[in-house]
Amino acid sequence: MEYFDFLQLIAKILLVVGVCLGVVPVTVWFERRGAAWMQGRVGPNRVGPFGLLQPLADVLKFIHKEDFVPKNANKFYYYLAPLIALIAPLCALSVIPFGDKAIVGGREVVLQIAQMDSGVIFILAFAGLEVYPLILAGWASKNKYSVLGALRGSSQIVSYEISMGLSLLSMLIVYGSFNPHEMVSWQVEHFWGAVVNPFGALVFLISIFAETNRLPFDLPEGESEIVAGYHLEYGAMKFALFFMAEYIAMIMASALISTLFFGGYSLLPGMDFLVSFIASFFGFGSVGTTNVTAVFQFVSLASKVAFFMFLFVWIRWTLPRFRFDQLMDLGWKILFPLSLINLVVVTLGVYYFNR
Amino acid sequence: MSNPTIEIKKPKEDLNYTSGLRPVHSDSNPDAKPLPKITIDGKQFEFKPGDTIMQVTERYKLHEEIPRYCYHPGMPIAGTCRMCTVEVEKAPKLMTSCSTPAADGMVVHTKSEKVMKSRTGVMDFLLTNHPLDCPVCDKAGECKLQDYNFEYGPSKSNFKEEKRVFENATTKVLSDKVTLNMNRCVHCERCVRFTDDVTKTNDLVMVNRGWHKELDVADERGLHNDYQGCLTDFCPVGALTWNDFRFQKRSWFLDKKASICDRCSKGCNIEVHSDKDIVYRYVPVFNELVNGHWMCDEGRSSFQDLMNPKRVISPLLNHNGSLTATSLATVLAEVKKSAAAASSVQLIVGTDATREEAALLKDKSSLAFGRSVTVHFHNGFIRSSGEDKKLDALLRMADKTPNTRGVEEAGLTPLANGEVSADIVILFRNGRAGTPKLSANQKVILWGVWTLDEVKALPTTNVLALIPGLATIEKEGSFKNADGIVQKFHPAIEHRGGAVSAHQVIGLLTANK
Amino acid sequence: MGTINVSKKYTAVEKAYLPAILIGMKITMKRFIQGFLFRKSWTIMYPEKRRDYSDRFRGAHFISVDPKKTENCTACFLCETVCPAECIHIVAEERDEADNSYGVAKEKKPASFDIDLLRCCFCGFCEEACPKDAIKLSTNYEMATYSREDAIVDLDHLKRPMNGRHEKKDS
Repeated sequence: MEYFDFLQLIAKILLVVGVCLGVVPVTVWFERRGAAWMQGRVGPNRVGPFGLLQPLADVLKFIHKEDFVPKNANKFYYYLAPLIALIAPLCALSVIPFGDKAIVGGREVVLQIAQMDSGVIFILAFAGLEVYPLILAGWASKNKYSVLGALRGSSQIVSYEISMGLSLLSMLIVYGSFNPHEMVSWQVEHFWGAVVNPFGALVFLISIFAETNRLPFDLPEGESEIVAGYHLEYGAMKFALFFMAEYIAMIMASALISTLFFGGYSLLPGMDFLVSFIASFFGFGSVGTTNVTAVFQFVSLASKVAFFMFLFVWIRWTLPRFRFDQLMDLGWKILFPLSLINLVVVTLGVYYFNR
Repeated sequence: MSNPTIEIKKPKEDLNYTSGLRPVHSDSNPDAKPLPKITIDGKQFEFKPGDTIMQVTERYKLHEEIPRYCYHPGMPIAGTCRMCTVEVEKAPKLMTSCSTPAADGMVVHTKSEKVMKSRTGVMDFLLTNHPLDCPVCDKAGECKLQDYNFEYGPSKSNFKEEKRVFENATTKVLSDKVTLNMNRCVHCERCVRFTDDVTKTNDLVMVNRGWHKELDVADERGLHNDYQGCLTDFCPVGALTWNDFRFQKRSWFLDKKASICDRCSKGCNIEVHSDKDIVYRYVPVFNELVNGHWMCDEGRSSFQDLMNPKRVISPLLNHNGSLTATSLATVLAEVKKSAAAASSVQLIVGTDATREEAALLKDKSSLAFGRSVTVHFHNGFIRSSGEDKKLDALLRMADKTPNTRGVEEAGLTPLANGEVSADIVILFRNGRAGTPKLSANQKVILWGVWTLDEVKALPTTNVLALIPGLATIEKEGSFKNADGIVQKFHPAIEHRGGAVSAHQVIGLLTANK
Repeated sequence: MGTINVSKKYTAVEKAYLPAILIGMKITMKRFIQGFLFRKSWTIMYPEKRRDYSDRFRGAHFISVDPKKTENCTACFLCETVCPAECIHIVAEERDEADNSYGVAKEKKPASFDIDLLRCCFCGFCEEACPKDAIKLSTNYEMATYSREDAIVDLDHLKRPMNGRHEKKDS
């Protein structure tokens, strides 16, 4: 590997991880503030302007809290769980393309950390890892509520992974590729995936709510029944890790659904014009135009992710939590058969159009 | 004339608590003359010739019928308050029931409209000058003025002028036991008649007349009789208050349980007034055979000994020369061990033990201590019940322990010369009996009601152990008083400390092999 | 006998569930816009702004004093008697002549007057029972303490000047 390759890889990793971790506090702030607005309250407004420094204060508080380990906990797994919870979605993010390509120093830089042909498989693998922190945390805590939360979480994630995988499969048939980059290219050439397969998009959307344990599917945490579920025995920074992991998982899920169904980094309508206007205004050559396009591609992906993050918050304050049997009914009796039928229909459609 | 002093003789029946407030019945013998009959509110009652209308109602317990301030069954009749007026048929005016003799065939109405109107008027007059300080007054809750005003009084006073205030007698200390608030007085003069006719000490007089009529002490001796507490009992308002009880507790909080005063051999019947097992006062209860209506101040204050914070209420054991609190089982084991090791053991029962305790200790102590124990009694004031005598005409006795006759009856003998003669002496007393003479090195085991001061005052320093016991008002038993009357009593309060009854101690000692 | 089935049949639209979700999301979005753009909220920013309570509000107790700062209380125990929560504990004693200076002479005074605010149920019976208008309930509702012991307030605390005392209101 050349020196330049190494550098640009490091730069891309730093960019993605930095943006993700930097966005988390803002998301936390927005979730609380948005919730307050939706409920006719004010929300955190004491620390800093508009309460923007509230997450910072929370972090300070987390740092100063007692680093508590339950007496009979399995120490190794107890410490391992929040780490996996944080790292797995971050890894999954590495195959999400956040732009087409940029040209730096006369060389082409692909705006994706890991250019894998089997990128979607990689994402699925790491999304599947998300069940481990739940089980490990719940079991290692040596607490009945935690175990109940872990049981709920694992069965829920496993159940919804099936419908999620099936709707993903239907899109793979449409795109004919595992490579996220090629998927986006297909959408740039044709339509957004959601237009081709709206039903798959809906199932996928519901499934990622379940995958990330967000309302209305936050049964593993279920404050009213099992206190705090799997992370009941976690405090201080270890809890903060779980907390951050939840938001990074949300970012990952939003990026994933944007990439698969909503055109990924493809420019939003109207941005083409903006790019060409800027390029002509500043008199950029082809290199400059490519770079400006890359910036706007990143911006459009970011705004799509932001929309889905908002959707997460929006849904959270709209819907109450499901009952566990309703959750399983929805997963196995409705989403699973529907996504199977959808897969068959999409397959037939693709066969018909490509004949 | 050999005797120049003139004696005004009063008939003994005058103090009619000895006449008995019981219903009387005509002799069933047809030859005997039937008792006269009076009709009160449509019911016929037989009475003894000489009774007043009030006394007839007393005989038949018609306490609610006629309100009264000046009348008291233990004192001569005055007829000054006019509260007890009743309507007698064929009489032109209302008659005072306390002083009108009942006659055969008399028809009395105690609740007619005329009577009620009269009572309302009397109450109106009494309240013209009575201050509205019931919240501060200690009598509130048991005050006759409150009760009768509630029942008969006007709802509004017609008196618009300034109330009379005795500037110098608002809080006047009559003695170290009684405080006077003259503003509250309704001039029933029960207190004056009590000192004149019951204690015969003539302490109190009313000075001035009318608006300025004021209670005062008669001479420089002040209020000096031994029954001052009774003044505060029968004062119908809060004019005379008992200093020990003053501002301590409101009367409606008090639990009232009957018991026997153990301060002398008279055995006065008392009511123990306590709240949450803390005693606030003793009040005498009428018993015509023992104490009548009264009680001496000494007995009235005797609850202070039981409520003394220095009373020992946990078992103590001598540990390296000092008495240390420990468990009862430890103390009893040590007591039994040292009793077994001693060459001779004497148990001295104070004459404040109940009859049951005396019998128990006489019969069972040898068994309990597992060795021969000689049991004697010791009084501290007199040698035997034969020496007991009255200190005054009323109640007070020379023997300051309650049960000398009962202990003698149980078969115990007094300590020869008041001196002990054994290796270990067990002193059983309940706070009233004296202690026998002890040498400076006598080994003693204390048992019963002791205060730390009493323990320190003992001539000997060789106290092996102390077993706390229950006081009279905390236990059950019976006393035989100086007149030979056996009186049974039940616990009036529950003991909240670590003291246990003698029966329990004997039981534990016997079980402890 | 038997159970009565009160559940209703759902229509196809209701069963689909998504339309209902969309209606719900419309409502929350409306609220969001109200809160975000028009700053509409029902919150009272507490330490800066305070809710106005009626004068009849029953808050922390106080004991009214006369112009010479002597408490009006005469330790009559009526409040202790009437208190349903048994949270008032008074010990009475004789008042010195020197303190007996203003208004009606009070021969009795409270040696100690303790109220256990944690037991108190703020029924206001003590205020009604008091013949001297001595004990009253203020409109002060800030009674938080750092320990349970601090919640047992004594005579000095009850006599202290504070907000919400209506000394002369009904006298």
